Amino acid sequence: MDKRLETTLSILGGARITLEIFLVTLLLSLPLGFLSALARLSHLRPLSRFMEVYIWILRGSPLMLQLLFVYFALPLVGIRLDPVPSALLAFTLNYGAYFAEIFRAGIQAVDRGQYEAAKSLGMTYTQTMRRIVLPQVIYRVLPPVSNETINLVKDTSLIYILAMNDLLRVARTIVQRDFDMTAFFIAGAFYLAMTAVLTWVFQKLEAHYGKYDE
Amino acid sequence: MENTTNSRECMLRVTDIHKRFGDLQVLSGISFEVHQGEVLAIIGPSGSGKSTMLRCLNRLETIDRGSIEIAGQYLAKDDGQGARYVDSEFARRLCTHMGMVFQQFNLFPHMTVLENLIEAPVHVRIRPREEAVEEAERLLSKVGLLSKRDVYPARLSGGQQQRVAIARALAMKPDIILFDEPTSALDPELTVEVLRTMRDLAEEHMTMVVVTHEMAFAREVANEVIFMSDGVIVEQGEPEEIFTRPREERTRAFLRSMLK
Ligand SMILES: Nc1ncnc2c1ncn2[C@@H]1O[C@H](COP(=O)(O)OP(=O)(O)OP(=O)(O)O)[C@@H](O)[C@H]1O
Ligand SMILES: [Mg+2]
Repeated sequence: MDKRLETTLSILGGARITLEIFLVTLLLSLPLGFLSALARLSHLRPLSRFMEVYIWILRGSPLMLQLLFVYFALPLVGIRLDPVPSALLAFTLNYGAYFAEIFRAGIQAVDRGQYEAAKSLGMTYTQTMRRIVLPQVIYRVLPPVSNETINLVKDTSLIYILAMNDLLRVARTIVQRDFDMTAFFIAGAFYLAMTAVLTWVFQKLEAHYGKYDE
Repeated sequence: MENTTNSRECMLRVTDIHKRFGDLQVLSGISFEVHQGEVLAIIGPSGSGKSTMLRCLNRLETIDRGSIEIAGQYLAKDDGQGARYVDSEFARRLCTHMGMVFQQFNLFPHMTVLENLIEAPVHVRIRPREEAVEEAERLLSKVGLLSKRDVYPARLSGGQQQRVAIARALAMKPDIILFDEPTSALDPELTVEVLRTMRDLAEEHMTMVVVTHEMAFAREVANEVIFMSDGVIVEQGEPEEIFTRPREERTRAFLRSMLK
């Protein structure tokens, strides 16, 4: 087989794994972050304290350590996960904690008067959250969420240590095998393309949700 | 005048309400009634509990003791063992009889003027959208802002925002509207247009409870004035009595300070 073609194919395979981890983590950690923020803001003290500790641990320790813990330490207590679920678990919990703090700040930034106006109009708590608070929270959190999402693109490279054939590992293998650095450039271009697309998507979202902002 | 108002339906009856924040006793036994078509003005120094009292009426705060009756139905009732509230779903529905206009307007910034007005009619009253839009447009022309129909609140002046807020409250077809210092956040020239809108409402016999520092407005528009201080009603009466022949020294001192 043509060596160039083979190289391209294996890089694409690596990119697919990277992309999968990225997308699934994002889809799971955003709702987790939102619910965690609500729990963190809850008036139930134990729940709020528990979330505080969760957020502290996951934001306060290296993601690499969390990844190693899930993959190498959990088996010692009988929980044995494959590399992909291990990575997803660690990434989701970690990013969920980051998003929780972002959402918490966003929710707290919504003026108390908004809740009061909604209540005085007879809206229920659910209606108030869904129709009044959430749209304003989304607009406010888009810039920090955008940042974290781009960080996530780059953090996916940490799965390298779980010996998965992700983009980075494939690229390294090829570079070592062929004494040719092209694969690194391709990998780099792929990460850059992903972040470019994300930047564009978030710009569109900000324009959509921020149309009221002067 | 007084006899005719008293024979009208009692829209709001507050009996001996008490409220404290921690160690701070903010309301110490407030009682009054508001009848259909009546405008009640509440005046008093800063920190006397006027806002708190108003907020208790529509559940933004809860009372510790006393009763609140809205259009003949209890929101909270006291049988001598502290205030007991009706269940929250009933309370929510009951309070839709009352609109509220806030000092800081509190329009929904992510919605256009029209969307602000139809939000609650459509989602709380469950009216057809077209009907709510029609009514909203009628109210907007009434407050002179139909041309701002599709504009976001951030683009409006304070006076315009407050008139939209009044229209938003009216869109729910309330029996009473509560105003908490509706012009205090406004420049003097913008105050005029909001007061004019409120005056129009009073002329149409909307029942209103207005906490205000606008003494001229209270004097000309209100049927009844309450002077509050330190969580109690010091003096209550028709505007002419309160403003020209106040009986209490505290009222006189307050009015003197307001004239300065
Ligand atoms: N949520 C709260 N928690 C604690 N104290 C409060 C709270 N709300 C009001 N207070 C206190 O209650 C007292 C009455 O406040 P309130 O806002 O009702 O006064 P007010 O008559 O409306 O004054 P102003 O004319 O300045 O608006 C004040 O001492 C205030 O600090
Ligand atoms: Mg006040």
